[in-house]
Amino acid sequence: MDADVRELFDRSIREATDRHTGDALDAALTDLGWHDALASDDRDAVSILFTRQGASNATSSALDAVMLDALSATADAIVLPALGDWSAPAARMDDRLTVDGLALAPRGRVAIAAMVNGKEVAVTADLGDLDVAPVRGIDPALPLVRVRGSVDATGALPIDWSGAAVPSGQRALAHELTGASRAMLELARQHALEREQFGRPIAMFQAVRHRLAETLVAIETAEAALDGAWIDGSAVSAAMAKALAGRGARTAARHCQQVLAGIGFTTEHPLHLSVRRALVLDQLLGSSKRLTSELGARLIETRELPPLVPL
Amino acid sequence: MELEEFRTALDAWLNENAAALVPEHEGLGTLDDQMAQLSKVKRMTYDAGWMRYGWPERIGGLGGSALLRGYLGEALTTRDLVEPGIYSMTEVLAPTMIDYAPPELAAEMVPRLLRGDETWCQGFSEPGTGSNLASLSCRAVRADGGWRVSGQKVWTSLAQYAHRCVLLTRTGTPESAHRGITALFVDMDSPGITIRPIETMHGAPEFCEVFFDDVLVPLDRTLGEENQGWSVAMDLLPYERSTALWHRAAFLHRRLQQVLDRTDTNTLDPAQLGEVTQLLYAFRARSRATQHRLAGGEQLGPETSIDKVLLATTEQAVFDLALDSLPADVAIGEDGPAPRWRSEYLYSRAATIYGGSAEIQRNVIARRLLALGDDR
Repeated sequence: MDADVRELFDRSIREATDRHTGDALDAALTDLGWHDALASDDRDAVSILFTRQGASNATSSALDAVMLDALSATADAIVLPALGDWSAPAARMDDRLTVDGLALAPRGRVAIAAMVNGKEVAVTADLGDLDVAPVRGIDPALPLVRVRGSVDATGALPIDWSGAAVPSGQRALAHELTGASRAMLELARQHALEREQFGRPIAMFQAVRHRLAETLVAIETAEAALDGAWIDGSAVSAAMAKALAGRGARTAARHCQQVLAGIGFTTEHPLHLSVRRALVLDQLLGSSKRLTSELGARLIETRELPPLVPL
Repeated sequence: MELEEFRTALDAWLNENAAALVPEHEGLGTLDDQMAQLSKVKRMTYDAGWMRYGWPERIGGLGGSALLRGYLGEALTTRDLVEPGIYSMTEVLAPTMIDYAPPELAAEMVPRLLRGDETWCQGFSEPGTGSNLASLSCRAVRADGGWRVSGQKVWTSLAQYAHRCVLLTRTGTPESAHRGITALFVDMDSPGITIRPIETMHGAPEFCEVFFDDVLVPLDRTLGEENQGWSVAMDLLPYERSTALWHRAAFLHRRLQQVLDRTDTNTLDPAQLGEVTQLLYAFRARSRATQHRLAGGEQLGPETSIDKVLLATTEQAVFDLALDSLPADVAIGEDGPAPRWRSEYLYSRAATIYGGSAEIQRNVIARRLLALGDDR
């Protein structure tokens, strides 16, 4: 997209995520041609939508669309790995696949990735054949469900889970996390300018200013890594960006919650929605903690730094 | 010349001339050794044309994108041919001269800097003027068809080697703050200048105190307009946080790879190593975007404070990892690469102090990027 088209697209997407969530947002995205944009220009489609979705605390089935697109799979939804993990959510048990994963408001036919004899494969199954239980947890507004069961392994097709589906999903989630982080920062910034103590806005106190500056650095660090991840398109850079975005969102939550203090601890103020969302998103497709340790362990083994984006 | 073509041709030239380019000293070397090496490499790359790309033709350059300069510094740093800190001073001082010096002066002087015939320094900080640069008091008064300069500078890098100095002076009243500052281009062999190198904890006397005692500076050595020196300083700072940082990212990448090459597996903490690698990746991606904005003709501004915060955080994280993984080298080693690890570890402690401290960068971010208003 050129700059003008991108700006226009961003504005339309923003209106949609501000106004709608869930099924209504899915319908709005279809009307806006978001799926066509995903096919023709995945970077703009993914970065714009997920950043806005994160900022508005909205939900949609876009993560399924992104990961299914990366797998060239035809299904209505995808089963995500268990919390904190990124590896395929199913394993072979005799001639069946045993599934234990998560999904976001799944429907219809779901794609299930599995590791079978060291190979990544996928099958599709009817959601009705699986045990689906809502997960309320720390973020009740996120339509997360736990998916368990066993499905027929015949007809499993080879896929690229770790090299295609996971990195695509990680980049999308990283954008959603930076969007949520920016929303928290803006709430804290507004509060700092309005709230007065000792006869002046608390934004004048350096301790407050530096917390917010630190938050912006954390967000833009993750965004820089995302820029690199889109340019080089590698699995390792997508995982790095996801880890930085997850850790950055936790930094944002910590500082912004502190600046918002009492009001930010109530449900009368919207901060808690973003804090909750960030904590769960950090755990999807690899938590920041796990991705970071895994990266280090792999480097110790290979003794070779991941390639950097050339100038 | 396009970046791809430049990259390929330069890499080939560096490989062909590897034997002649390599430092004569082993390991870290003294600051004298590093300066001699810097001059040699600048001369060779200038004479072969590489150092002239990315600079305008009116100062002897061969034109082309500033990205070419970024890649040259990266390539030299990655091969350990130059120490990036002293190499990158060109990136700060040459653009200032090109933008603010009378054109004939820039055309005469800048090639000497690029070719390594001369070293220049930057006289900004003073004993009473660290983060609060606008409070500087080194005085310049008009006399005898020029300026008479009296006062003191400190933390002036490489002053003992320098032929010229880009000097900030107080030309307004003491209360005039940023409105009463004038930038001058001073010959360092002028009578009345005394230089005292400062012993620092990392072992190289890179910084100096410089004393000016009634030093005469000709009027045509004024950079920009009288009392407009603040804009010279402000325009210079983003350069300090663009190409110079790109070179530094290349340096940190090399050192982190050397930690991986050297250390025993059981001394590396996976979580720490993973985090440092992520930070370095992000810092480099950030610096890359800044380089492209600079090359695209964008005016760099306060957003480069984030680049500086990222550099400082990454540099200290890389060398904290080096200390934790190679403690014997940093703490007690005397042979081979040990002195360099020790010196560079110690130097990394200054990354949150020099070029605008960590606190000043966060103040800039709060005021300029987050619009939090003034803090008093």
